[in-house]
Amino acid sequence: MKDLLPSAIKNKEKRSEVHAKLKHQKKLEKKKKAKVREAAEKQALELGEEPPARPIPRTIENTRELDETVCKPDDEELFAGNDADEFSCILKEERTPKVLITTSRFHSSRGPAFIDELISVIPNAHYHKRGTYDLKKIVEYANNKDFTSIIVVHTNRREPDALLVIGLPSGPTAHFKLSKLVLRKDIKNHGNPTNHQPELVFNNFTTRLGHRIGRLIQSLFPQDPNFRGRRVVTFHNQRDFIFFRHHRYIFETKESKEPQSKGKGKKEEAKTQEKVITRLQECGPRFTLKLISLQHGTFDTKGGEYEWTHKPEMDTSRRRFFL
Amino acid sequence: MPRTTTVESSGCPPLRALTFDVLGLIKVVEARGGQNGDAAKVVERWGEPDASKCVLSASILDRESHPLIGIARKSGSVEIISAINGDLQVQIPDLCQPEDDSIVGVHLLQKHKSDSSSRSCALLASTTKGHVRMESVKLGETPAKSVRDPSPTVWNVCGSGNILCSKVSEDENHALFGGKGVEVNIWDLHKREKIWTAKSPPKDNLGIFTPTWFTCATFLSKDDNRKFVAGTNSHQVRLYDISAQRRPVISIDFRETAIKAVSEDNDGNTIYVGNGSGDLATFDIRTGKLLGCFIGKCAGSIRAIARHPELPVIASCGLDSYLRIWDVQSRQLLSAVYLKQHLTSVVFDSHFRIEAPAPQVETAVEEDCAEATPVKRKKEHRGTRKAKSKSSKRSKREED
Repeated sequence: MKDLLPSAIKNKEKRSEVHAKLKHQKKLEKKKKAKVREAAEKQALELGEEPPARPIPRTIENTRELDETVCKPDDEELFAGNDADEFSCILKEERTPKVLITTSRFHSSRGPAFIDELISVIPNAHYHKRGTYDLKKIVEYANNKDFTSIIVVHTNRREPDALLVIGLPSGPTAHFKLSKLVLRKDIKNHGNPTNHQPELVFNNFTTRLGHRIGRLIQSLFPQDPNFRGRRVVTFHNQRDFIFFRHHRYIFETKESKEPQSKGKGKKEEAKTQEKVITRLQECGPRFTLKLISLQHGTFDTKGGEYEWTHKPEMDTSRRRFFL
Repeated sequence: MPRTTTVESSGCPPLRALTFDVLGLIKVVEARGGQNGDAAKVVERWGEPDASKCVLSASILDRESHPLIGIARKSGSVEIISAINGDLQVQIPDLCQPEDDSIVGVHLLQKHKSDSSSRSCALLASTTKGHVRMESVKLGETPAKSVRDPSPTVWNVCGSGNILCSKVSEDENHALFGGKGVEVNIWDLHKREKIWTAKSPPKDNLGIFTPTWFTCATFLSKDDNRKFVAGTNSHQVRLYDISAQRRPVISIDFRETAIKAVSEDNDGNTIYVGNGSGDLATFDIRTGKLLGCFIGKCAGSIRAIARHPELPVIASCGLDSYLRIWDVQSRQLLSAVYLKQHLTSVVFDSHFRIEAPAPQVETAVEEDCAEATPVKRKKEHRGTRKAKSKSSKRSKREED
């Protein structure tokens, strides 16, 4: 009877009973294990030994499929490729980025609000009305006006749902799905950003494709952050989703007082002890991007060549990531 | 439901392929074959990474002694190097101005002109603006000693539009050119005159005319210069027959992005088609029927497809930086090599033999027999049998 799986029992009442029992047992076992580990750690601490290494939990990220395209820090071809790519003149500060933001043909409600916030995030961004122009015409116009990138916010059912980032004049076109958009006013205790140039944080863009996407996004921002502004824009990649966050931070020095009961001899020390604490305030907006395709050259749906497109046959493993 | 088990492949046969990329590097990929499924890997890298030396086109003169490779660079020069060790043989600088014109195709001709010694070769290069230049080169021991033909023949193949593809027939008598705004046309290389031009297909039932934009083309068979296949930007693959009509005989739609590479099979009626979103398929061009797609994790545009002259293997490369080697019959991926840059071209060196092949192969076959007979597991059996037949075939060829 003990080996019987609860799912094999047909009577529901009995099944849930057995299941609950099993669950309870497991819980007890887990508690026991934790107790043993804690005891061992304590003992080791008392004896002055190194405590036993904590087991690392297996997550999807650290059991990721082996990927040979992950960039290595000593790859000279990678650096030569970086020097030759479309963004290098912006990232080397030879050109100041100038961004044109426009929309899909029809947009309303959260679309314009999102664009307002994007303009406050990206310095030197200009909103142009879409009108009835073709995107190819807009690319041409932006090239003539010395823009370095175009962002197109696509709206569906009055909700922004896609972002198109085009590098100019010849740069790639990235098509992202946009989800989980939270605007500034919906964030509790949000701050209002200043117009200092932000610092940038890019996390986990490891593969060659990720590296390229990272550089594409990086080229939207000026490369000389104004540290007085204490403004930071984060693009965090986790399992191929790119999370966007925008914060203000502050370092505050606080004098912490030692509790009095701990002996009066230390009183002088306690007064001088200063503690630096960091506080974060989110400025918004907050959204998540997922790459759908990366096109070589500017926007061209008919004759375009893709550097990378998502295909359904790539989704055969949960542990395979591309960025 | 996605397939979770991996299909057992028979392993990559011994072959040697050369790839060319956007940083001007040439990488030699070799597969050693063998029963334990040795994957192909990069064995040599020629050149230093330099974006101005981006390779636009390459062609190989595939022969037993002194195989040569012609490389067209973005800077407007053409280089001829040895396919064995990558030594520069001749450099032809300033074929065109890199600002407004670029080389689209370079072909090394073998039988051109009377002298067919291995120390000389002829070269045909065409540029975007339609300037075609044919010259013969006598190779010396060093690049400085090589002698170029003082009077190269230069002519123009189009008045307007951009040439995007060029191809020379197997017997080197005819060449075809096509491009954006240029209908495919065929030239006689000896008389240097246009002998045939295609006619654009009629307007469709909505009265819409698709502008001419050919992206790639290839002659269908080795001994017949009358049939050729061209791929267009409007995702069509067209078969033309000079002897029949000026409009396409068959026109096939393939997926939704522009066709970027077309390659013919040795049998003269199968073609391989690659497009801008990384789909690779094979067609029977007599009927226009899709024989099947090559399914792998091919994510980026396919720039070049090469068919191995002897082995049943094709190689594809493109913007996803992978060189992929496929089996023609089973359409399985045999090997994929990551080469870090966007690749522009791939060629096979068919005269590649692994060192000291005969004894190695013999022992391998014997071992294989010993292994295969007692254990009769279904899957393994099939795999080893295939490999065995291949290896025995190879040994036979080397005995010849």
